[in-house]
Amino acid sequence: MEMSLKTNERVQEELEALEAILMDDISISYNERGCPELIKTTIFPSTANEVDKQYVCVTLEVKLPEEYPDCEPLVQLRNPRGLDDSTINHLYKSIKDKCAENVGQPVIFELIDLIRENLTESNLPTCQCAVCLYGFSEGDSFTKTQCFHYFHSYCLANHLSITKRHFQEEQDKLPAWQKSTKGFQATCPVCREMIECDIDELKTAHPPKELESAQKFEVTNDLRLLQERMRQLFSYQKSKGGIIDIEAEENKLLLITQSSEETASSESTEDPGPSLSNLNDPVLENGVLKKSQRCDVKMNSSDR
Amino acid sequence: MAALPRRIIKETQRLMQEPVPGISAVPDDSNARYFHVIVTGPEDSPFEGGLFKLELFLPEDYPMSAPKVRFITKIYHPNIDRLGRICLDILKDKWSPALQIRTVLLSIQALLSAPNPDDPLANDVAELWKVNESEAIRNAKEWTRRYAMDN
Repeated sequence: MEMSLKTNERVQEELEALEAILMDDISISYNERGCPELIKTTIFPSTANEVDKQYVCVTLEVKLPEEYPDCEPLVQLRNPRGLDDSTINHLYKSIKDKCAENVGQPVIFELIDLIRENLTESNLPTCQCAVCLYGFSEGDSFTKTQCFHYFHSYCLANHLSITKRHFQEEQDKLPAWQKSTKGFQATCPVCREMIECDIDELKTAHPPKELESAQKFEVTNDLRLLQERMRQLFSYQKSKGGIIDIEAEENKLLLITQSSEETASSESTEDPGPSLSNLNDPVLENGVLKKSQRCDVKMNSSDR
Repeated sequence: MAALPRRIIKETQRLMQEPVPGISAVPDDSNARYFHVIVTGPEDSPFEGGLFKLELFLPEDYPMSAPKVRFITKIYHPNIDRLGRICLDILKDKWSPALQIRTVLLSIQALLSAPNPDDPLANDVAELWKVNESEAIRNAKEWTRRYAMDN
């Protein structure tokens, strides 16, 4: 009993010190018995308080077992921004070492310091641009959103000009009383938070470098095998009547009756292959082709 | 045809190198924007044990516009109609270029685990799903067994 009280006091002291240093930037939750359970804080690189120069961040979550500090706390890194998996794994390893070294003493502030040092050293996004899926090379112009997501300025400009155009097209279709009064609002492609940016300025950026040097795609053996497997499955399901016959279904919808013989003769047992391929948006309705556009199906049937 | 954007090449490579369990997608020989897809019915769903064929097409301005996706294998599901069209927000107004072929197909697989009869595309199926769920599930299992099996 006395031991646990003492432990508790040591923890209490550590937490008070943390609150004094970090103030609103730390949150501590307590369990029903009033013991501290979970400590959370978001850590940024040290950039002399220049928030626009912080390109990475991560939230540290520390769970305190009852025996802490005489055992290691449970540490989780959440919501990493601008950090790839290898950077995070490296951080976890350093955290583990630090905790093991410090059993018996308060370690939370040490952890915060360690993470902040690491972030400061790698204060450039190591993740990929979510739009083109390529990384950030030196000289690439990139944009950090307010929600800490990263894009090549070129890619973000592309996304924003297209969503803005779509928004405008939708607005133009609406009667005056239904039109939005707010105008176009840009959102982050990753988390959909509202973002503020100057599309015209982003548009002046050059395409990312890695993108230009990317390797070409080749058809591999694995790919051939998979294609073959797809063909087999298609034929098998076709023989069981399991393949949707668009033409027949559409005719049903139109309430036109067709003899089953006719339907059967227009079917092909071949995988139809690209039926969506030659088509542009206007002829697609919710992703399905209008009858007149499905030339390949027609071709197959006339082949027979 | 214009050169294939690097992003499509990268996605295709990753689909081959790190395939998503339960999902295969392979580009067509004659058109690298057209993918043949198989999604396996999720465990503990009426579609368990089924292999569903889908087709997926990446439009000209992909990833700025959503892929077009459709079921080719018949399926009894309130959010998928007789033509195989899928009612899923990320394929329409909730599309974002941060989504990928793999995330789209995962979402479709998740839709099989979580049918939503309150936002129906196949009205008759959705109706039955609401008034007599056990019968609807029986139908879905029966369709899976009848149409979505492998040799």
